[in-house]
Amino acid sequence: MANIREIQSRINSVKDTMKITNAMYMISSSKLTHAKKKLADTEPYFYALQGEISRILRHLPNLRHSYFARREHIPQDQRKIGSIVVTADKGLAGAYNHNIVKLEEEILSKPGIHKLFIVGELGRHYFAKRGVEIDTNFQYTVQKPTMHRARDISGVLLDQFEKGELDEIYIVYTRMENSVQSEAEVIKLLPLERSSFNEMTMPLNVHRETIELYPSAQAVMDSIVPNYVTGMIYGCLVEAYASEHNARMMAMKSATDSAQSLIHDLSIIYNRARQAAITQEITEVCAGARAQQK
Amino acid sequence: MDTFGLKIIASDKVFYEGRCRKLIIPAPDGEKGILANHENMVIAIVVGTAKVQLAGEDEWKDLAVGSGFAEIVNNRVTLLVDTAERPEDIDVRRAKEQQERAEEQMRQKQSIQEYYHTQASLARAMNRLRVAKDKRWSGL
Repeated sequence: MANIREIQSRINSVKDTMKITNAMYMISSSKLTHAKKKLADTEPYFYALQGEISRILRHLPNLRHSYFARREHIPQDQRKIGSIVVTADKGLAGAYNHNIVKLEEEILSKPGIHKLFIVGELGRHYFAKRGVEIDTNFQYTVQKPTMHRARDISGVLLDQFEKGELDEIYIVYTRMENSVQSEAEVIKLLPLERSSFNEMTMPLNVHRETIELYPSAQAVMDSIVPNYVTGMIYGCLVEAYASEHNARMMAMKSATDSAQSLIHDLSIIYNRARQAAITQEITEVCAGARAQQK
Repeated sequence: MDTFGLKIIASDKVFYEGRCRKLIIPAPDGEKGILANHENMVIAIVVGTAKVQLAGEDEWKDLAVGSGFAEIVNNRVTLLVDTAERPEDIDVRRAKEQQERAEEQMRQKQSIQEYYHTQASLARAMNRLRVAKDKRWSGL
């Protein structure tokens, strides 16, 4: 039988931990509602942008632009591949970070010269130990995603893409499918792929409305594509932020629940030990009294 | 007078949706006016002031818009811009601070990329100030 005082102190320490996990649960759930609202606000822009590019591509199938350049002359193992990896700033979020890291490892195992752009402290620490090239000037946090930050990030990437320092750009983030399910996902940001904008194949006899691009197709694409990339990154950051808090909320909820069941079990053991101690004391008192009577 | 459907989508919200009579937008080579039944077109928009005359109103309204583009299809106009602000929503002091910060950064040595970045930031700040200029309290 365990010592009563030991059990007592164990219960207290579990209670203290439970207070922390419960508080983190509340913080995450309030941040989650915030993130969800942000997500809903930005969705119209995001989808309209995607729809627009696909519409332009549909009407101008022969459009040539540097953002579509696949640079096929560069052999597989010489291609410079950049990935933006969106992790959390800290752990305590179940498998959230682990899934992202696993997905990124898959990309790293493919041939090519890899360069990482990491958003979030945890990923930065992990990949720093792995010995992969990390852009060190790329210090962005994942807390409270803003358009400004997305613009900064896309500025850096577009610049490197245009200069030829990167041939392909991916973003690894967690998409929130619904409030219980989220999934780590890889999206190719650049070069743009026509097939990803699910082009409709139009029957030939249908009248095609013509759209003129003003001042020129080049100027319009120059204006749309950076915005598209920025919007995409912003959308991903918001999605990841929402998923992170969703994951943390669930992890903290289950931690709180198991703390509760642990306290329940411990208090039963504690009560048993207490009763046993009382019984023993009574027996001792009785035995003592009887011994004196004789 | 004929009207057309106008939808202004900024990156953080759907800014406006409704009928409109006249619209003037800042294109890379100057302003461009749109009336009802305009030819189908996609026009690039740069940071600047857009003017709208909504259906049933005679006065022009100013908007500060960020970069993006306008799409005109079948008498419907969609404005997709990264920011859209009414003059009364602009915080003059913040815009002024943004301008000063950008100007200070401009004076420092920086890479080409940072330079473009600051330039864009300065353009946004100055545009905000320009749009907010007609506001009653802007003199403060």
